[in-house]
Amino acid sequence: MNQNQLARRRFVVAIMALSGAAGTALNPQLSLFSRAWAESPGQPGEGVLAAMVRMARLLYPHDALSDEVYAGILDRALSETAAGAAFAGQLDAAAAALDARAGGAWRDLDTAAQVEVMRGIESEASFVAIQATVQFGVYNHRDFWKRVGYAGPSKGFGGYLHRGAGDIDWLPEKL
Amino acid sequence: MARQYELDDDTVVVVIGSGAGGGTVANELAQKGVDVVCLEAGNRLTLADVVNDLVVMDQKMGWHDKRLGAPLWICKTVGGTTMRWSGVTPRFRDFELRPRSTYGALADTTLIDWPLTLEELSPYYDRAESKMGVSGTHDMPPSFETSNYKVLKAGGQRIGYKQITSARTAINSIARDGRPACQQIGFCWDGCAVGAKWSTLYTEIPKAEQTGHFELRTGAMAVKIEHDAKGKVRSVVYADADGTLHEQKARAVCVAGNVVETTRLLHNSNSSLFPDGLGNASGHLGRNYMRHVMSLTLAVMPGEVNFHKGTRQSGLILDEQRHDPDRGFAGGYVIETAADQPYGIATYVGGWGEEAADFLEHYSQIAGCWITGEDPPQAANRITFHATERDAYGLPVPVVEYSDHPNSTAMRKHADQRCGALYASLGARRIKSVANIGHGCHNMGVARMSEKPADGVTNRWGRVHDIPNLFVSDGSVFPTSAAPNPTLTIVALAIRQAEHIAASMSRREI
Repeated sequence: MNQNQLARRRFVVAIMALSGAAGTALNPQLSLFSRAWAESPGQPGEGVLAAMVRMARLLYPHDALSDEVYAGILDRALSETAAGAAFAGQLDAAAAALDARAGGAWRDLDTAAQVEVMRGIESEASFVAIQATVQFGVYNHRDFWKRVGYAGPSKGFGGYLHRGAGDIDWLPEKL
Repeated sequence: MARQYELDDDTVVVVIGSGAGGGTVANELAQKGVDVVCLEAGNRLTLADVVNDLVVMDQKMGWHDKRLGAPLWICKTVGGTTMRWSGVTPRFRDFELRPRSTYGALADTTLIDWPLTLEELSPYYDRAESKMGVSGTHDMPPSFETSNYKVLKAGGQRIGYKQITSARTAINSIARDGRPACQQIGFCWDGCAVGAKWSTLYTEIPKAEQTGHFELRTGAMAVKIEHDAKGKVRSVVYADADGTLHEQKARAVCVAGNVVETTRLLHNSNSSLFPDGLGNASGHLGRNYMRHVMSLTLAVMPGEVNFHKGTRQSGLILDEQRHDPDRGFAGGYVIETAADQPYGIATYVGGWGEEAADFLEHYSQIAGCWITGEDPPQAANRITFHATERDAYGLPVPVVEYSDHPNSTAMRKHADQRCGALYASLGARRIKSVANIGHGCHNMGVARMSEKPADGVTNRWGRVHDIPNLFVSDGSVFPTSAAPNPTLTIVALAIRQAEHIAASMSRREI
């Protein structure tokens, strides 16, 4: 991870912490370091990132997942050398589309209204791209796997043969 | 014992592709003492290369050359798509080899009967099952009963199905043939990490090498088949990993590149004698492309299933593999267990928001099955080539054109209703049918066998109608798709074809 990526990661985590689960207004007291990075050209601004962390949660809402998980997914996509710049543009475009359709700050709406505005832009290219990224990120995330009891790769421990394969306790039939 | 043959050795049979068709026909020939050079476009992996990660394994073994149109999901690696397949191996039934006689003329299809009977094919099914270690056949017990299978069985019984089995999977149910029993690892589509699932990579290919009559060339992409003035094929031109072209002489050639590459190679081998490509006098080359009717049903059950714990697909219901026009369609379908990891399920469920997330939140309670059903041949479902776009080899980029026949739509509707009822009978909380499961890899039909040369590309042995020493050895030769997964039938036909080729050679007909 290079210096820029490190800075961005810290920034996104800071944004996430400040934006909060309800998507409330940003605390202006960001560290200088993060603010300097946030203002670098070609990167989404802090308001955009906070809105997108909120949108990521509303795309695939799982209470067991922290805001860090959703922020981290966006962060990783931004960090990709080839596709990162394009993804930054998509975040900007989606945030602008949400505000335009909301007729003001989308983040200030209540959850039901936020979701309704999202439905209105769901066929836009930026939304589709972000949705795909968040879907991939959430359902391949270890925190989600842990939540639903998915143990993932099993080659290392010799498969599930002696670790629950075939176990089922609720079927009425004796098979 | 692996041999090396000279490029100008014209006594060898050149086999193009090392998967179910190519790997099998090559080994069967080598076992009979026929010298074989096998050209494989991909690289040779070992079991140590196999990890439980779809993305990583797709990079290692997926076919990523540019293609347009309907997506495929096949492999470029030694073993071909036997590295990725599920191992499901039901046999075709008698009516499925006589579809034109059984169903009558089906509008907007090019339906024909197979030029061989089930009676003729059955001994080769026996040999294929023995070779592959199919569970529930020969000395192999049925497969381990996964929790997903137990749900399928209980629900199937409740709605009246009788032909429910955990047999018919080419994954070792016990240690056999130098390979271990299945450990229920659960990543069958990403290469079997222990080699319990049959793949030519670690069965046919090394066995062929042990005969001393076989050479495998990896990174060897066949680009053209050359013929002599009389129209007999005489050599295969291929590009090595560096892109350098070589020409291997041949006594006979077997093409097994999976339908797109088989079509492309025959098409690109056109000449003044065969202006539309080899085997295309009838105009059928590349047409009648079939990929099975598929549909997936996922259900959130009342208790935990954890269907990721075990093989993806080992469990079948065969009651719907019949022709019964009262159901509103011709032909039949097979119901099979299906499972996937959370991300895969999320893509099948589709959408976003509370409803999609709620389904995934119950991942541990999901049971699943899918169907493969007979897909009628249509002339417009075909492989064509882009007019200007070229791939890294400088070859025209293939375009895969495919759309559903109304028969398929009717079949899918029936299957979704039955599979839904199966899970509902056990108190499923949510049921989701998914028609678009994203990809097809049951590829069949572009060089179909036909009694009359005007109706197809190859004869009853898979030999190109008007070329005495050119054979097609993969699923391309299927006149119709039938319902079951195609690999067992590909292997049975390849065993039969190798016998025919060896006999023709000893009679000096080739």
